[in-house]
Amino acid sequence: MNRIVDRKTEFITPINILLAGLLIVGCNNDSDSSSDKIIQPVYPDYTFVENSGDKATAIDASDSGHGFSTPISTLSEEELGQHLAGDANFEMAFTTAPNAEHPELDGLGPVFNNQDCNSCHQRDGRPSTLSVPQGQYRILLGANAGLFLRMSIDDGECAKPSTDNNYCKNIPVEGFGTQLFHRGVLKARDDWQENPFIGQADVYLSYEYTTVTYADGESVELKRPIFTINNSYDVVNEQQMDSAIMQADVRYSPRNGMPIFGLGLLELIPESDILAISDELDTNNDGISGRANWVFDPIKAKNNDPIPVSLGRFGWKASTPSVRVQSLGALRGDMGITNPLFPDESIANTLLHERYLARTGFVDTGVDEQGNAEASQEFSDDVVFYAETLAVPARRNVNNETVIAGAVLFEDIGCVSCHQPDFVTISGEVSIGGLPAPEALKGQHIYPFTDMLLHDLGEGLADNRRDFMATGREWKTRPLWGAGLTKTVNPAAGFLHDGRAKTVEEAILWHGGEAKQVTDKFVMLEKAEREALVAFVMSL
Amino acid sequence: MLLKTSTLALLAVLLLLSACGGSSSDTTPVIVEPTGFTFDATPMITNLTNDIIVQGYSDLNAKAELFHLSALSLLNSPTEETLLATQLAWQTVREPWEQGEAHIFGPVDALSIDPHLDTWPLNTSDLESLLATQNGFNADVIKLFNDDVQGFHTMEFLLFGDGLTDNTKAINEMTALEREYLAATAEVFREYTQSLFDAWTIRHDANDTDSSPYKDFLLTPGNDFYASDLGVVEELINGMIGIVDEVGNGKISEPFGSDISSTDTSLVESQYSWNSLADFSNNIQGVLNVYLGRTPTQSSADIGLIDFVKAADAPLADRVNTEISTAIDAINSISGENNLPFRQAINNADARVRIQAAIDALGVLQTSLESDVLTLLKKWNV
Repeated sequence: MNRIVDRKTEFITPINILLAGLLIVGCNNDSDSSSDKIIQPVYPDYTFVENSGDKATAIDASDSGHGFSTPISTLSEEELGQHLAGDANFEMAFTTAPNAEHPELDGLGPVFNNQDCNSCHQRDGRPSTLSVPQGQYRILLGANAGLFLRMSIDDGECAKPSTDNNYCKNIPVEGFGTQLFHRGVLKARDDWQENPFIGQADVYLSYEYTTVTYADGESVELKRPIFTINNSYDVVNEQQMDSAIMQADVRYSPRNGMPIFGLGLLELIPESDILAISDELDTNNDGISGRANWVFDPIKAKNNDPIPVSLGRFGWKASTPSVRVQSLGALRGDMGITNPLFPDESIANTLLHERYLARTGFVDTGVDEQGNAEASQEFSDDVVFYAETLAVPARRNVNNETVIAGAVLFEDIGCVSCHQPDFVTISGEVSIGGLPAPEALKGQHIYPFTDMLLHDLGEGLADNRRDFMATGREWKTRPLWGAGLTKTVNPAAGFLHDGRAKTVEEAILWHGGEAKQVTDKFVMLEKAEREALVAFVMSL
Repeated sequence: MLLKTSTLALLAVLLLLSACGGSSSDTTPVIVEPTGFTFDATPMITNLTNDIIVQGYSDLNAKAELFHLSALSLLNSPTEETLLATQLAWQTVREPWEQGEAHIFGPVDALSIDPHLDTWPLNTSDLESLLATQNGFNADVIKLFNDDVQGFHTMEFLLFGDGLTDNTKAINEMTALEREYLAATAEVFREYTQSLFDAWTIRHDANDTDSSPYKDFLLTPGNDFYASDLGVVEELINGMIGIVDEVGNGKISEPFGSDISSTDTSLVESQYSWNSLADFSNNIQGVLNVYLGRTPTQSSADIGLIDFVKAADAPLADRVNTEISTAIDAINSISGENNLPFRQAINNADARVRIQAAIDALGVLQTSLESDVLTLLKKWNV
């Protein structure tokens, strides 16, 4: 389906204003003259900021594919050691248990989405968006895939977490859970000889395409991922539609890996500062109603906090409160590596797990004879610390006049309504993920360009699956810092929650819902103005 | 890339300057001497992209094809000679791969070629289960398997055995099903090397007819991949640092341990073929290739990172050149007069002295690259 967008009105462009300003101010040699009208270009405060992470900005790496992968330079020697240990853990590919020669690596799965962290966060950035080979209409998600499907039973919205509603946790699919594991260890399934290395089910990806055409005739092709599921473990092939995951009330949400730098800084943004800019009821009538996702916090629960709920900060729907919960949840979920925070296997108490254990002699239960999880506390702490302390890439081309003009446009058309430019991280005694925070993360004036809040982004992006309080149309505002290095880090990476957008421009055009008013303004810009705005985002 | 509006703005400023007039004494330009150095990176980037990176992947692909053909010969004519020839073909194709680890970026990551080809350690338990339970193998099936039962080290294990006491294998120790698994894996391997080469030279996304060869993004910076020459040079330098770090602090140091009682042979890469030292040496040879802009078999008139460094600091350029060669020599010396493979050398007191010397040489080189070479980027007047 083609969508034609007409240019309704002329837009007074900041580029023109800038030029006019230069001309008028430049000729005004008489400072006392009152006859000349002086138009001063107004640059947003962030226009010329180079170090997006303040002192936690990367050094000598911000122009290349290493831009997401350097430790914060102000870490202490001991902290740097822990960061580097975590770096090794991040790249560690796990294997089937038991592995007598490499016991430190075993515990994979038994069903999982990837074997190591790096596969979904290539070079600490985004994974490759898979393309469908010519002559095929779909592609099977396998080792190349850096995304997976979350799933749960539809039970409507959840307005406020409480003990009565299990803190708005999603309802798992019987026999499967809340995440579809499309890969497995060799013998994960009863029918492993016919389906070696297959997980709970096969997932296929295809695309449907639409075209957006600007009034000037330029057009952009957008692709929307379509996922299909087959070969579910719980039924025979002839009865796939009877599988628990094929029922009408099951909701799916694709989740692509995302960059992991700067996360510790985001965790130390004062909660009060985030809540101060939330506007759930849109009291200022600007059409933007950012709101917080209050989510279950396993660390608080483990510490017997009577209200185990925290502000959601991480994940596509802000459904985890800390880097620690996000990282160790992924370790247990995406890879199937149990750890002290999540000691149970991801598919514990399902038929698949019980049959797997029985068939393989109970050698891969997720805990050893002493009750230790597959990943130690030290391993877990190190990998979390790594994700907390990767430096933010510096900006590029900040003095390029197109980039400068783009900054003005970014401000002018309202991108900043959600992409809040800056915050200052907490100072003083503060913890991160339950442990004392490194000094390097504290008191930094950062420019992440996110308000850390949920926004309705419309039907085009909707997954129609709630996640704690987030509705099926809401997504957390993505930080834009580092966006311009995305393809430098991984040339096949895509933007948005399922990697569908090949470019920043495509990502902008997908914004609907609350952001539609801004997207409409973007669409109405002249081509050079659109390119300037994109150039600004690419400079971040 | 400057857009049309930029040109307009520049024009406006020029008009403004010419139209406003004013006293010439007020507008005398102040000439500021540049404090950095200048270097035209285009010839260097062109040479390194075409003659080192792309040529290296071409070499890898050609040798992968020969390896696949050799594996097919072994499958169809299982003799000591075809086995030996396939073992040699494995070592031959290993060489360009290891040298290419000095520039692990772009399609080799984006297409997951690195884990497909070189996952270590392999999963011998699953491999043996597959061989014990499946009736046959072909490339389509192998391609869907996990990375730890395909690629270099799976093929190495099948060809050389477990490597515990020797790196030889008799043809009667290899089953028909193992040969079939090997040939199918070699075919998958060959497909990946072809796709890697094609991504650099034809389309970086094979399924998108509009996509450009990846090499173009390096050759003509100012795109969504590399904003400038600076980014490409930074990529190349960091690539060298990455492999020097990995060889010194990972591949050698981790199995080496802190003393002779804490060695771990299970961590030795290419332990089945006893090819470890050749791997390490080739890794650093890859660094030398990028630094000099030529391989040992190419002409000596090419431009490499040494010329970039020389433009800023000639003595440093020579020093780094020497340090790279010293590191290679130190690695090559590890085997000693007894020609010890690395997995044995880590448990030999005399050899450990030589290993420590190699680690130290790599440490010196890494420090120079990080502290002296990478920092030149800030002084470069791009």
